[in-house]
Amino acid sequence: MGKTAELLPGTLDMLILKAVSLKPLHGYGVLVRIRQISEDALEIPQGSLYPALYRLEHKDLIAAEWGQSENNRRAKYYTLTAAGRRRLRDETAGWNRLATAIAAALNTTSEEV
Amino acid sequence: MFKRLRSLFRVLTRRRDFEDRMSEELRFHVEQYTDELVRSGVTPEKATRQAQRDLGSLTNIKGDCREAFGLHLFDEFRRELSYAARLLRKTPGFTATALLTLAVCLGANLTIFAVIDSVLLRPLPFPEPGRLVTIFNTYPKAGVDRDGSSLTNYYERRGHISAFTSLSIYHYGTEIIGEPGSTEREQTMRVSPDFFATLELGPAIGRTFTEEETTSETDHVAILSDTSWRQRYNADPNVLGRQIRVNGVPRTVIGVLPPAFRFLSSDARLFLPLASRAEDRTPLQRHSGGNVIQMIARLQPDATLAQAQSEIDAQNTALEVDDPQAKMMADAGFRSLVVPLHADHVAAIRPTLLLLQAGAMALLLIGAVNLVNLLLVRASGRVKELAVRQALGASRGYVVSEVIVETTLLTLVGGLLGLAVGAGGIHLLRVLGADRLPLGGRIAFDARLALVALVAAIIMGIVFAVPIAWFNLRRHLGNALQSESRGGTSGRGAQILRHGFIVSQIALAFMLLAGAGLLGLSLERAMAVSPGFQSDHILTGHILLPWATYPSAARLAFVETLMDKTGHLPGVLSAGVVNNVPFSGISGKSAATVMGHVLHPGESARGHYSYGVAGDYFRAMGFSLRAGRFLTADDSRRSQRVCVVDEDFARYYWPHASAIGQRLWDGSEAGKDAEAFTVVGVVGGAKQAGLTEEEAQGAIYYPYVFRIGDSVFVAVRTSLPPESLGLTLQKVVRQIDADIPVNDLRSMETRIADSLVARRSPALLAGLFSGIALLLTAIGTYGVLSYAVAQRRREIGLRMALGAQPGQIRSQFLYLSLRLLAGGTILGIIGSWLTGQAMQAVLFHVPPLNLAILAGTMGVMGLVSLVACLLPSQRASRISPMEALAEE
Repeated sequence: MGKTAELLPGTLDMLILKAVSLKPLHGYGVLVRIRQISEDALEIPQGSLYPALYRLEHKDLIAAEWGQSENNRRAKYYTLTAAGRRRLRDETAGWNRLATAIAAALNTTSEEV
Repeated sequence: MFKRLRSLFRVLTRRRDFEDRMSEELRFHVEQYTDELVRSGVTPEKATRQAQRDLGSLTNIKGDCREAFGLHLFDEFRRELSYAARLLRKTPGFTATALLTLAVCLGANLTIFAVIDSVLLRPLPFPEPGRLVTIFNTYPKAGVDRDGSSLTNYYERRGHISAFTSLSIYHYGTEIIGEPGSTEREQTMRVSPDFFATLELGPAIGRTFTEEETTSETDHVAILSDTSWRQRYNADPNVLGRQIRVNGVPRTVIGVLPPAFRFLSSDARLFLPLASRAEDRTPLQRHSGGNVIQMIARLQPDATLAQAQSEIDAQNTALEVDDPQAKMMADAGFRSLVVPLHADHVAAIRPTLLLLQAGAMALLLIGAVNLVNLLLVRASGRVKELAVRQALGASRGYVVSEVIVETTLLTLVGGLLGLAVGAGGIHLLRVLGADRLPLGGRIAFDARLALVALVAAIIMGIVFAVPIAWFNLRRHLGNALQSESRGGTSGRGAQILRHGFIVSQIALAFMLLAGAGLLGLSLERAMAVSPGFQSDHILTGHILLPWATYPSAARLAFVETLMDKTGHLPGVLSAGVVNNVPFSGISGKSAATVMGHVLHPGESARGHYSYGVAGDYFRAMGFSLRAGRFLTADDSRRSQRVCVVDEDFARYYWPHASAIGQRLWDGSEAGKDAEAFTVVGVVGGAKQAGLTEEEAQGAIYYPYVFRIGDSVFVAVRTSLPPESLGLTLQKVVRQIDADIPVNDLRSMETRIADSLVARRSPALLAGLFSGIALLLTAIGTYGVLSYAVAQRRREIGLRMALGAQPGQIRSQFLYLSLRLLAGGTILGIIGSWLTGQAMQAVLFHVPPLNLAILAGTMGVMGLVSLVACLLPSQRASRISPMEALAEE
């Protein structure tokens, strides 16, 4: 995991939760959706996507169900569970706090010290 | 957490589904991606390749997914399990030996534990059974250790001892049940009204007895056991109010007990009120227990045994103030003891059972040592393989868990086989008479036993893994690879460990063998004791005459007719009647007062076996006459009061004078002159309770008319095999009264043999255990020496190439085994002495250290060990130097 320097450790789970919170998705759909909502800024290493999905499913943060894909194939669809929704909210808040703090710290000028 | 475990469980049970779906999902991903790439203009072949490359190794991803689901641990376990199973299958000889050893050792332990569990451990089937106690009178100085309790004790104590919530009495009996023509003799109990309240377990249907139902005029009620209710009344729910005929008299059924009701070892099917007359409850009857009536009580929740004891003592002291017998009873050491009911009931068998369990444990220890030795030898053979694997990165944890999985697999399968052996063992114990033990009816092969086997197997698996894992981890990698390439002298530590194991094994087997020898010798010495009469060719049977239809006069007439008819049967030499035959399993002593005998200070009145005899009892039993004459059939018809005493009685009271013509009274007080009995004969002393009965308390034989009891035992001396006369005897009795059965028909020799079952069966089991122990020790010694020889092949070959003689090589190994044997024997002798001490309670006239047994044990152990050593030593001396050196 974390082979790409762009993706901070622990952020993959958050991104997956966000992706499936919008609409039920299959694994490949998650990949596409993350690329799309980050406007191609984030590239998920494909090898770590599925272990992450299984880990989240095992923790009951997302639920899986088999359904039909757009091109009429059997595919495994993931949806957000109530616990997953709570986790996403917490993580988003936590991330925003951290990002604000870091941004504030990085924007500090010498006069303000 | 629970949900997650459930999902894990679901995944584990549908493992194949999990794998299939994971593959499908990943395949779908690749296809979707390929499609997208193709749409963006890449050629299909390139697209497929790129899609696969971008996703990465499927094996790795799947592994990560499984790990994310927590499945990798199980996968690893499964892999280790199948590896262990493969290894065990590859060495069938080792595996078979190990499993057989485990099966036998665990089986022996489970068998004995099943007995210990049901007899000693499992609580009695009543609420809070720990609060139940029994109280009995003891007169140790009069030679009466146990005399039950009297009715008087009961009426004086109940409600007056504040440490008890409830106190009651009972006695066992057998009654003739059923309508005339279809009667059966059944076990019964007569109980006081509060008996069920004391046990806190009463009838499931109906009521218990009332205070008004304790006289012989009003006691026409009965409570059925569950079995009796089902068999006799087909579980009729409206059974209350029905009539049941007991000893010919109808009684009303007022209750049915629950299925779980079982009082101690009793098989009673019918419970009747314990009725008595007012004169039986007077202070004069306070010491008339005679070990017939027993007392139980329930302690208050916060009361202790000591509190109850002191209250009973205080009451006894208070009552003695105006008791004319007080002085005599004090001289006899009278006390009423309060003891826990369960412990008291099994007290006699407890040491034997614990001893057998210790024996089985020793066996298990020997087996365990064997297995560890074999496993160590095996591990030495795999040193190189393991070193290579460790060098390739196998972690220490992995090495340890692999060993644990392997040993636990072995012990679990062994435990399963052990359960089968245990089931067989329990069956064997039944044959050996285990269900006749107190609470022995409860012995069963059940889930509890299976659980014990499982736990024991797992513990053993882990314990076995410790030395093996230590051995595997201890050596440094390079060292191991090197030492093996040199053809291997294994580490000194492992060698000392193996030899230490052999020494302890020999010592344990020695102790078992010596212990079995002591038990055997003790049995032999008990069997060598003369019962005091010629026990061959005697048939005995028990006849119970109900008082209702057979009052005293009718009893006498019955006995007369019986003697007359049996005396004339073909093959009968002589026949007699007694109210308690030797080895009947019943024993009670009563007092006698000898005219002119003055108790000197410190001497107490003595209890004697007192019998009423009719017919030609003494000739039938083969008693020897020491002086005077036997009692004859005529003595029961005459009014002269005569009696016969045995030599122990005569020696005690008249050491310097002839007993003939002396006079005595039946009972603890001197009576009128006319009531005294004149001694007309002295006969040899006979054992009553068993061959190992030590105290010769003396016995008195009265003519039957003067001592009519509940029971009639008939004894017939015959020229035929005694058992063959059984049917004839039953027919004779049925001719006199069709409703009177003859029970307990056994030859006198069978009775004596049966009385020794508590010695014979443990001796047999101990013999069996030590036989197995010897075999295991031989296997262990052989295995370790064979290994030592195999390991030193090169060294031996080298030495022989340099001129060593085969004899030198052989004696080198024999010397090693002799050293091990000597070490084991020294420890074994010390151990035998200690076990002999611990066994004193169950031994009869055998000291803890018997020279003959020690010598015998040393001989057998020496022989077996030497044979086990001889084969490997011989093999060592035949090693060809050329071959040995050419290897590797």
